[in-house]
Amino acid sequence: MSIQKGTLEIKNLSKSFIVDGTPLQVLSNINLKFPSGSFISIVGSSGCGKTTLLRIMLGLETRYEGDALLDGERIEGPGANRGIVFQDHRLLPWLTVGENVAFGLDKLDRKAKKLIVDEHLKLVGLSGFESAYPAQLSGGMAQRVAIARALANKPEILLLDEPLGALDALTRMHMQKELERLWLLEKITMVMVTHDVDEAIYLSDIVVIMSSRPGIIKKIIKIPFARPRDRASSEFMQVKAEILKEFHLGTEYPFAYAI
Amino acid sequence: MQIMNIQNRVKIKVIGIALPIALLIVWHVFVSAGYVSPHILPLPETVLSTLVRLLTKGKLILMIAISLRRVVYGFLLGTASGFLLGLLMGLSRTAEKLFAPTFHTIRQVPLIGWIPLIVMWFGMNEVSRILVVAIGAFYPTTLNTFAGVRGVPRKYVELASVYGYKGLKLVRRIILPAALPSIITGFTLSLGMSWVLLVAAELLIETMAGIGKVIDIGRETFNMELVMVGIVTTGLLGFIMTKVVERAAQAAQKGRVFEQEQ
Amino acid sequence: MKNFFQRIEWKDKLLGVIVPLLVLIAWQSAVSLQLFSPLLLIPPLTLVDTLWYLASSGELTTNILASLNRVVFGFLIGASAGFLLGLFMGLSSFFDQFAGPLIKASKQVPQFALMPLIILWFGVDEFAKFVFIAIGAFYPMVFNTYQGVSSVSKRYRELAQVFDYKGFRYLTKVILPSALPLIITGVRHSLGLSWMFVVGAEIFGADTGLGYMMAAARNMFQIDVVMSGLVVIGSIGFGINFILQIIEKRLLVWRVSTDQGAKCKS
Repeated sequence: MSIQKGTLEIKNLSKSFIVDGTPLQVLSNINLKFPSGSFISIVGSSGCGKTTLLRIMLGLETRYEGDALLDGERIEGPGANRGIVFQDHRLLPWLTVGENVAFGLDKLDRKAKKLIVDEHLKLVGLSGFESAYPAQLSGGMAQRVAIARALANKPEILLLDEPLGALDALTRMHMQKELERLWLLEKITMVMVTHDVDEAIYLSDIVVIMSSRPGIIKKIIKIPFARPRDRASSEFMQVKAEILKEFHLGTEYPFAYAI
Repeated sequence: MQIMNIQNRVKIKVIGIALPIALLIVWHVFVSAGYVSPHILPLPETVLSTLVRLLTKGKLILMIAISLRRVVYGFLLGTASGFLLGLLMGLSRTAEKLFAPTFHTIRQVPLIGWIPLIVMWFGMNEVSRILVVAIGAFYPTTLNTFAGVRGVPRKYVELASVYGYKGLKLVRRIILPAALPSIITGFTLSLGMSWVLLVAAELLIETMAGIGKVIDIGRETFNMELVMVGIVTTGLLGFIMTKVVERAAQAAQKGRVFEQEQ
Repeated sequence: MKNFFQRIEWKDKLLGVIVPLLVLIAWQSAVSLQLFSPLLLIPPLTLVDTLWYLASSGELTTNILASLNRVVFGFLIGASAGFLLGLFMGLSSFFDQFAGPLIKASKQVPQFALMPLIILWFGVDEFAKFVFIAIGAFYPMVFNTYQGVSSVSKRYRELAQVFDYKGFRYLTKVILPSALPLIITGVRHSLGLSWMFVVGAEIFGADTGLGYMMAAARNMFQIDVVMSGLVVIGSIGFGINFILQIIEKRLLVWRVSTDQGAKCKS
């Protein structure tokens, strides 16, 4: 039986960095399997190695023990089948919005490029902005362009590294809705690193909780509720309390917003 | 790990001197094989021995001293006036509006262009040479002092005003320390320009002494060794002066890390 | 650093003319009171006359063209050599370690010290002047290009890796645009120094050019011609800067409102 596209599997993965001559283990014996088309969040306090894990899936970190497999193949470097949205939008300031979205489409001809750019700018609600420069955009708009750029390549899996971390609270909630809409529309696997528990519960089918030094997986929680989810519902609160308990915050402060 | 680092640094140094050494060898072989006359290009070792001989027996030290005196006077004159103008324009927007347009217009004249006029006004003498050096030192210090003073983060000034700092006290305790890195950059650039203009002044304003004169005598008498010795000396002195200023700058800023306002 | 060419309110402009006006008044009164010998200070209007005379006799045009010709050639040779070396040093850390120390060390020699050597080797003809100007143009270009290329943010390098940009495509789409602001700074300093060096070379020994015109006038004690020369080289320096500012603005439109504090190097 062939594996469905966009299936991500991590087997016995460990990773250490050399800091001042001594090895520092950042990830220890990680095992995960994400079904194709699901939305996964990885939450944990800073320094727990969640970003490193994402960079391994992306292919920017290639030295690790164990296996990171996409559709059954070991990830050895970046590839067009994986898209990435960084926390900083990372739009190239010397390219227009349109050129930024087309950054990964260099091999296509002008017409095909324009078609895809238009389609994706429309998708993220920024039609008509293709000739603006990144410096003219607000943080939320820039992040939408970054998402359009990642999706324009038609990846099987979209990696999101705290994509909304730099936005203000209101824009953030709005963008969470947008992400959900895009995920439902594109039907691809999305893996998001975040430290916002609400965000993780609102968006994910699966929440992976990591703890630090060395980074290990503490718990995996499946969230089966129907969408769109209500942040004030009791089931939402219950899951939230369950997650916060893992960070020793659950009992005393059941309504803590973030870690 | 520490050892690895040292090894690495040694390796980088070795790579860095490979090219100069190779060039010296090519130079030596080229000349001694007779491809080029030693009158056009003396052997590197001849240049070195001439340098040592002139330093120990000849008048090279005296020439260097005379050049250094010109640089010191010109540098002090130029940086002092540049610092004052830069500070004034940085502190007061009215002063900026008054002087900046004139300053930026006059700045368009390439520095060397002033030499004929200065010579006509002040004569072929020491005053003219020092003035030329001073002009070179003037602009970088003015520009960088201005930029430093104007760029002092507002939050520091606000904090100081909360504590009642005003006038001279505000300038001395807050503005100058915060502008120091930029001012020091100005001094460093000024020193470089002073050195460049000193040699130009010694070549273009006839003089009896100085390191520029040594090079010029070499040219007039077709004494290549002398020309080369002069060039090497200017380079070495430039190097030493840069190092001295860098050390002084480090000492002045010791332990202070400045936040850059975005 | 406040950009001189930015739109300034007319009131501010008015303040800006006060100083030149005072200088003019002092100048004219010094002449009228005969404080200085007429050999040392001419009336301001004589300067205008002289400029007009030099321009209409064709003398000025000949000298301007001679100087500009030298600057263009010298600059092109020196700046392209500097650009290429800076690019290689920025791209390859081995090449940086290999060639960098020599280039930095050689910069310690004030370039004017090389003029007698260049004359002995190449004579006093045009080629020697090109070489001299090229040396002046070389250094700012090499250091600024190197700085720009080697300091491309890791964030952009990673992005290029993710989107599989390599080789020439990586160079032209990521490295060079990112280094462009500093490369332009390099061009500006480089041209500024070329313009200074051409005047120096012409004062030292030439039979055409604005520097020659000023040096010859000084020997014959024609202060009006010397001062005219100053005005002309200053104006051309101004013009060069002005054109470069326009080009810079065109090339860097993307820096819309992210005006970083300009670096001050004179």
